[in-house]
Amino acid sequence: MSTYVYGITRNGHPLRVTDRKGVGPDPAPLRVVSGSRLAAVVSDAPDDLRPKRRDLEAHEAVLEALIADGAVLPMRFGALASDDASVERELDERADWYGERLDGLDGRREVNVKAFHHEQAVLSELLRTDPSLRESNEALRGGIGDHHTRIDFGERVLNALEGIRTRDAGQLLAVLSPYAADVFQGPPVDGGFLNVSFLVDADKADDLRAAAQELGRRAADVLELRVSEPLPPYSFVTPAEA
Amino acid sequence: MTVTTRSPDGNTRRGTLYDVLELILDRGLVIDAFVRVSLVGIELLTIDARIVVASVDTYLRFAEACNRLDLTSNTKAETLPELVSDMTESGAEGKSKGALTGAAEALGDGMQKAREKVGARSSSEEEEGSEERPARTRSTSRTRSKSKGDEG
Repeated sequence: MSTYVYGITRNGHPLRVTDRKGVGPDPAPLRVVSGSRLAAVVSDAPDDLRPKRRDLEAHEAVLEALIADGAVLPMRFGALASDDASVERELDERADWYGERLDGLDGRREVNVKAFHHEQAVLSELLRTDPSLRESNEALRGGIGDHHTRIDFGERVLNALEGIRTRDAGQLLAVLSPYAADVFQGPPVDGGFLNVSFLVDADKADDLRAAAQELGRRAADVLELRVSEPLPPYSFVTPAEA
Repeated sequence: MTVTTRSPDGNTRRGTLYDVLELILDRGLVIDAFVRVSLVGIELLTIDARIVVASVDTYLRFAEACNRLDLTSNTKAETLPELVSDMTESGAEGKSKGALTGAAEALGDGMQKAREKVGARSSSEEEEGSEERPARTRSTSRTRSKSKGDEG
């Protein structure tokens, strides 16, 4: 049976998670594997572990409990070590490297912000502000133009839309980034135009949240913001080049 | 089209696993000495990572959406820069030039990565989990119908 790894902490972390359940259809209790300076929260992994929603939630819940008490390096979902001994070996062999990563995360949380345009609003903006697109649109509405004209028009709209997506992503970043110690931009999901994670010091978290609320309120006609926090620092544990 | 705006209220974590799925699955620490469980069946959870893919179907859909717009009913519409311009100035408090520049550069990288990722994504939409898929928001389902169009 292999060992499922949730995250890595310093040995001094309270690790108040051993009464929690881990991944798997019949979750094994959580355990702690301690090295000389670091500790890993683990559980026995079932042989047929699959990434079901229940398991993703368990992984996330364990890490959320851990970050409440101190710095944690969250594992990407699904990390399996062959046994506890190999986890301990890893903790000791790379203790310096993990220790430095943990130092950079003390007192910090990840906040993820996803932004989605209301399509109607941004298309309206395009037609209001671009006379050429507006003319083409009117012509097509008036029945002028064939199939290829429609395709060509749609392509121009999409290209112009990309400009608005880039511009608005920059606007949101300009407002929110000053509150963050670090910024990681991921690929937009769900048709959104921004998917950004901020690493935020505890004393800045309220300010960032307030700024996001204000943004969401003011721009409600144009976009939707989805904010997730506080998160384990998933986006700030991988080397920059990864 | 009806749209809902869910502004952050500081209590958005509960019930929003969907919004952090790609963090749990695609980020976080990876250790070479460990293996990773098979993620077969999880593709459907990340399928929506695809941004709008340029295709004839997409072009026609956007052309159609523009044709349907009623511009006369939208006289007081403003753009995002107009709506938040003073926030950009006051929020930065003059101390964040470096952060802003960095953010703009990161943005370019992010968009590029997104495009690469789009090309790399598989679209196998099956396997377990479909019945467990979390409830989704209105804007999401709108996106999904768009995705289907892209698949043609």
